[in-house]
Amino acid sequence: MKTVLIKTLTKKVTKIALVLIPALTLSMTATAHDPSMHVKKAEKADCSKMDHSKMDMKDPVAMAMMKKCMKQAEKSKGQMDHSKMDKNMDHSTMKKIDDKISENEQHNH
Amino acid sequence: MRILKLLLLVVVLGTGTATTIMYSGIVNVAADEPHSDFVYWLLEETRESSIKKAAQNIKVPDLEDPEMLLMGGTDYEFMCSSCHLKPGQSESDMSIGLYPAPPNLTLSNEEHVGHEHENDEQASRKSFWVIKHGIKASAMPAWGKTHDDERIWAMVAFIKRLPTLTQEQYQILTAVE
Repeated sequence: MKTVLIKTLTKKVTKIALVLIPALTLSMTATAHDPSMHVKKAEKADCSKMDHSKMDMKDPVAMAMMKKCMKQAEKSKGQMDHSKMDKNMDHSTMKKIDDKISENEQHNH
Repeated sequence: MRILKLLLLVVVLGTGTATTIMYSGIVNVAADEPHSDFVYWLLEETRESSIKKAAQNIKVPDLEDPEMLLMGGTDYEFMCSSCHLKPGQSESDMSIGLYPAPPNLTLSNEEHVGHEHENDEQASRKSFWVIKHGIKASAMPAWGKTHDDERIWAMVAFIKRLPTLTQEQYQILTAVE
C-alpha cells in the first residue's frame, strides 16, 4: 500500500516539475527581453566623462567629441531666452533665494 | 538526335526535381536552423564576390573629417547598433536572432574570424556599397533609398573608427544634439 502511494506521489511530483521548470524558464527569458530594452532614447552627450588629459587634439574622434560638447554647452546657454521672460520678474529677490538655498544645504550637511 | 533527347530528358528531370523541392515544403527556411556548411559557403562566397565586383570602382572620399563622425554616429546609433552592436556590448536580440548573424562592427577587420582581411580602402568601399544597396534575404536594408551618399559616407567614416571607441566616446559621438 505504501509503495503504491509513494509511486503515485513520485509520478505527480515529476509531472509538476515537468510543467513548472519549462514554465519558469520561459517566464525568466521573457523578463530578460523586456520590451523597454528595445526603446531607443534620444540621449544628450555626457561630456562630464571626457578626459582631456588623455585626448589627442589632432585625432578626428577627439575633435568630433569637442565639437559635440561645445555645441551642446552653447545650446544649453542659448535655451534661456531672456527676451521671452516676464519683465515683471523681481531680480532683487533672486540673490536672497539663492543664499537661502545654500544656507539650507550647509545646514543639511 | 540522341544527344538532343538526352539533353531534353536532363532539362525535364532537373525542372521536375526543382519544382518538387520548391512546392513540397521540405526546405527549412527557419532562421533558427542553420544552413549546412556547404550551402553556407556557397551563399557567402557568392555574396562576397558580388560585393567585391560591384564596389571595386567606388571612389572613397576623405573619411577623417570630425563632422562626418558626428553625422554618422547618430545615424549608426539609431539605424545600425541594434544589429551590429556598440562598444561594451557582445550581443543583442537582433544579433542573436538574425541568420546569417549580422557582423559585430565593434570588432576590427583583423578580429573577424573566417573573413578575408581587406585593406582600409577596400573595407570602406564595401561598407559604402552594402549600406547603400543592402543585401538580399539577409535583413540588411538598402539605406540608399532614403539616405544620400554624403550621409552614407558619414556612416562609413564612423564604422571605420568604431572598433577603437570606448563606451564613453561612443555615447558622446552618437548622442542627439
